[in-house]
Amino acid sequence: MDPSFTLTREPAADGRLRLRLQGSLTLRDGARLWRDLAAACAGYAEVEVDLAAVERLDGGAAALLAGSALRQGERGGRIVWVGATGDTAKLLDLYDCGPGAPCERTEPRQPGLLADIGTFAIAAVDTTRQILAFVGDLVTGVLLAVRRPRSVHTADLGVLLERAGTDGMPIVLLINFLVGAILGLQGAIQLHRFGGDPFLANLVGLSVVRELGPLMTAILVTGRSGAAYAAELGTMTVNEEIDALRTLGQDPQRFLVFPRVVTLLLVLPVLTLVGDLVGSFGGLVIAMVYLDQPAVVYLQSFQQAVSFGDVGTGLLKSVAFAIAIGLIACQRGLATRGGAVGVGRATTSAVVVVLFSLVALDAAFTWVFSLLDW
Amino acid sequence: MARVLAVRDLSIGYGGEALLEEIAFDVQRGEVFAILGGSGSGKSTLLRTLIGLQPPLQGRVHFTGIGPPERAMTPPRFGVVFQSAALFGSSTLLQNVLLPLQKWTDLPPDAATAVAMGRLRLVGLERFAHHLPSEVSGGMKKRCGIARALALDPPILFLDEPSAGLDPITSADLDRLILTLARRLAVTIVLVTHELPSILHTADQCILLDSRARGVIARGAPRELAERSTDVRVQAFFQRREAGHA
Repeated sequence: MDPSFTLTREPAADGRLRLRLQGSLTLRDGARLWRDLAAACAGYAEVEVDLAAVERLDGGAAALLAGSALRQGERGGRIVWVGATGDTAKLLDLYDCGPGAPCERTEPRQPGLLADIGTFAIAAVDTTRQILAFVGDLVTGVLLAVRRPRSVHTADLGVLLERAGTDGMPIVLLINFLVGAILGLQGAIQLHRFGGDPFLANLVGLSVVRELGPLMTAILVTGRSGAAYAAELGTMTVNEEIDALRTLGQDPQRFLVFPRVVTLLLVLPVLTLVGDLVGSFGGLVIAMVYLDQPAVVYLQSFQQAVSFGDVGTGLLKSVAFAIAIGLIACQRGLATRGGAVGVGRATTSAVVVVLFSLVALDAAFTWVFSLLDW
Repeated sequence: MARVLAVRDLSIGYGGEALLEEIAFDVQRGEVFAILGGSGSGKSTLLRTLIGLQPPLQGRVHFTGIGPPERAMTPPRFGVVFQSAALFGSSTLLQNVLLPLQKWTDLPPDAATAVAMGRLRLVGLERFAHHLPSEVSGGMKKRCGIARALALDPPILFLDEPSAGLDPITSADLDRLILTLARRLAVTIVLVTHELPSILHTADQCILLDSRARGVIARGAPRELAERSTDVRVQAFFQRREAGHA
């Protein structure tokens, strides 16, 4: 196949390189055009390229010619286009690279390290400001809600309860059962060595009811509902639905945040209680299967080891967890900026911050309870 | 002028129910062709059908004289600029424009960058090449969308509501850019719009869609239609009032 264009050297007497492009210059042959021009111009400061015999030039090839001239300029040289007429001249002109045009690069603004540090600092201040504004709005919203309970948007409560509670129940049952069973199995192996089989119910019961039940259930709710709240509110923010709410005189706190926090306050303790039950049941299954322990023995040990106070501490944690999940997820969602990427970032941030908060809260509660001897 | 797009006996709609029927028109090479109509008249649905995102209920869309039919392994024969610009939020403006070049050409990275920067220079965004879409204005996003759509030198460019959501000055700038592309890059432009100043300033030919008539109610040069049409619905559209009040 004949080449669509040719690049030939013309004899020159003044030390300049003279090139002649002939034929059809298109983006399809762009790679060859780019390489051939680079190879031909190498080592020359002044290059004159005759375009009089160019039959066709498309936009992509024109951009490449302009790019070649810029490249030559960066090497300390210059390409001068001559002989371009008609559409060829117009196209080169369009890329500011025609005969007589400067063909200079406008350097893109590219942030340096200092700018990055500045941007990070501004973002940190901005995030702090957003959190403070959120807390301020929250306090105002709570006060208004207490004064006028009807101002809280409760129409979505049923759907929210169903999504967070009923829909989340199967995974809570499964995971807590497995956690109870795994804990039971590990405990049974160790206790059996020392003849401590009767204490399996103590180990599983107290661990599940006081620590693992509330924590695992909260983690599951974070993954399901917390992430969903952040993504939902984030999408609403980037779609300007939150701004629309404000212009309609609706407070996003009372319209969106409160119903979600209330939902979690109602749902998480119930799920935690159910999680405690199935987690303990997981321990019972291991006691019966692995230790051949009668169910009644396990249940009697459980009754002696686990008090209502223990269940209460777990439920108290679940209330705090519910508030943390609801508020952090909603705050991250409402602080979303920048389209689909922003929504993804807000959701990730919500889940990470909530998980950290849950562990921190759990540690704090456990420490306080040990001080109070609860 | 040669014909580049021929639409014949086209019916479009959703769920088997026709929104527009028996649509037929030709677009000639190098012209700016506008698809006009009020909200809900089916303009954007027609555009989605033309670019192959929605199958027609009946009829065909023919692209003529602009290369072989599209296949999965051939570069697209037309560029599309969506109403929201649809830039990829996690990529800079330069990366957005580079995307089709990296996919469909064998250009070395520095040459592809030179072409992409050229496209951005063409639309006045060279300085913002390393910005993310979230860091630039709506008009700049639209212009970057045009640069991306132009990356592979398509002979036809489809634009969905290019002026939507832009202020009059930015909108006029965009109109000038569209005219520059059509006149100097010889790109055929098919645009969907209901912005009257934009239509009268840029379009060579147009069709006017009407949801009640379920089809095309007028065709021709916009200025001529505006000044000479005796159809009350056409007059109503160009004079910005309801047809019932004519």
